[in-house]
Amino acid sequence: MSNFAMEWYLIAIIVFTGFYCMLASRSIVRQLIGLEIVSKGAMLAVISAGALTGNLVFAQALVLTMIVIEVVVVAAGLALLVKNFRVHGSADIWKLDGLKG
Amino acid sequence: MDKGLLAYLLIPLLSAVIIPFAARNRPKLADILANVTLLAGLANLAWLALRPSIIRGEFADIPGDGFSLLLVAAVYLVALCVTFFSAWFIEEGLPNRSAYYSLILVSVSAMCGVVTTTDFFTLYVFIEVLAVTSFALITTDESGAGLEGALKYFFLTFPASALIIIGIAVMLMSLGSLSFESLRFFMASDLPAGPVTFGAALMLLGFIIKAGVVPFHTWAPDAYQGAYAPVSAHLAGIVTKVSGVYAIIKMATLLRFFDGRAQALSEMLMFLGLLSIAVGALAALKQTNLKRMLAFSSISQVGYIVLAAGLGTPLAIMGAIFHLINHATFKTVLFLNSASVEKSAGTTDMDKLGGLEHTMPWTSWTSIVALLSTAGVPPLSGFWSKLIIILALWEAGLKGYAVLALLFSIVTLAYFMMMQKKVFFGKKTPAAESSPEVCAPLLAPVVLMSGLIVALGLLFPYFYVYVKMVAERILL
Repeated sequence: MSNFAMEWYLIAIIVFTGFYCMLASRSIVRQLIGLEIVSKGAMLAVISAGALTGNLVFAQALVLTMIVIEVVVVAAGLALLVKNFRVHGSADIWKLDGLKG
Repeated sequence: MDKGLLAYLLIPLLSAVIIPFAARNRPKLADILANVTLLAGLANLAWLALRPSIIRGEFADIPGDGFSLLLVAAVYLVALCVTFFSAWFIEEGLPNRSAYYSLILVSVSAMCGVVTTTDFFTLYVFIEVLAVTSFALITTDESGAGLEGALKYFFLTFPASALIIIGIAVMLMSLGSLSFESLRFFMASDLPAGPVTFGAALMLLGFIIKAGVVPFHTWAPDAYQGAYAPVSAHLAGIVTKVSGVYAIIKMATLLRFFDGRAQALSEMLMFLGLLSIAVGALAALKQTNLKRMLAFSSISQVGYIVLAAGLGTPLAIMGAIFHLINHATFKTVLFLNSASVEKSAGTTDMDKLGGLEHTMPWTSWTSIVALLSTAGVPPLSGFWSKLIIILALWEAGLKGYAVLALLFSIVTLAYFMMMQKKVFFGKKTPAAESSPEVCAPLLAPVVLMSGLIVALGLLFPYFYVYVKMVAERILL
């Protein structure tokens, strides 16, 4: 098996671990951690693609930008989590059912 | 990046930076700065596209592909209506005005970035910026409902971004480049399309989640219902349309669905579009909250656009672009009217409302114009776009799709008529007794947009020439 196939095997495992983490946990914080794992797998995919096509410099630039963006998105998400905990007093995703119809 | 339109991205960004400093002690200045920025941009765009010489030359001198210009104009128009409405809607002190206007202007500049970009990575960057500003905007009034909507939006858009990144990785590997042009050339060539189509499919999945197409629509009603009232008009009118639907139309043209090299993707997209039309319309029938019903109606209308984009013939792309613009006009009117009803009567629960046409005649009549346009009644603009979409489906031999799209157009009329009857017609309820018409500045954006709906319907031949030029340029 080539190096490359191993990398993508690993990426698939990481991404599905993340999605499983999201599916299996009730806590919003754990769900966010699951999302983080998914997005780390995605970034690994970009680096692997760059390495394979000899485009590593380009891929590194992309991944650096993605990390910066992700920091902003996660900061916004954590702010939402904290605010939600203050308003509702719980971090349980199944208790977020105020809006229905 | 389309350099000619870069100023439309940078000026709102500059204004967004200036507002918190300039308006620290004078909150009214924030209103003025935001409105002036957007109005100046709109005036500039009108000069660029509607000069007599340009109209006589059948829009051949438009810079870029015309699609970006049209969408930049739609972004500015909706954002101007929303900021103008907010200036009179926001009560003293709450929420923080300068932060609110800064966020709206940043989202305008991010949307301009999305529609003028020419490669997938920049598209991803601007879509993320747009998503972050949307989370903050949804929670503007710091209510529990807004937080819940924002959290649900967050937990569905973030995996969508991850899928887009994986799609970018696959495309980088199989295509070697991320620009739109290289994908277009690749799809026009005879090379085997498998891996590239796979990358494109992953990206399309991300955009479908962000657009709120049916199997992934669950965030949309919650976010629109929970959001601060003018923000839901901004979100439903333009933000989710630019971050999801625009990207889907763009991908549809780049993948050249009409020459059948990505047949499976095209069929999948059309099926999801029809499913959205059906589920959105049927769910809207049994809603009791006005804003939630409008959100489901929005999902249903997005279905028409996705259906047309999935077909991908020049006529269908024309219909999709036209319906995107129409959706921005009529959904802004309806959501701003729901905000007026909320301000005046204090609730958006349709069972508690009734007989508002006597006390709020302007709101009632503009709602009628907008809902008739949504349902596709001639001569309003919504009729032409739906006609083009259904004609394109019929022409492509997909008669079943065409008939179903037409049938659900009737369901659209049914749920809007029920809404109109419950909220505006009938006997006055206690909530309606004490609800006066909102002040004239709150009606101005709604009346302007209703005028635009009628004007686009009546001046259809001019607009047809423009949209035809756009469809030809982006498909060539």
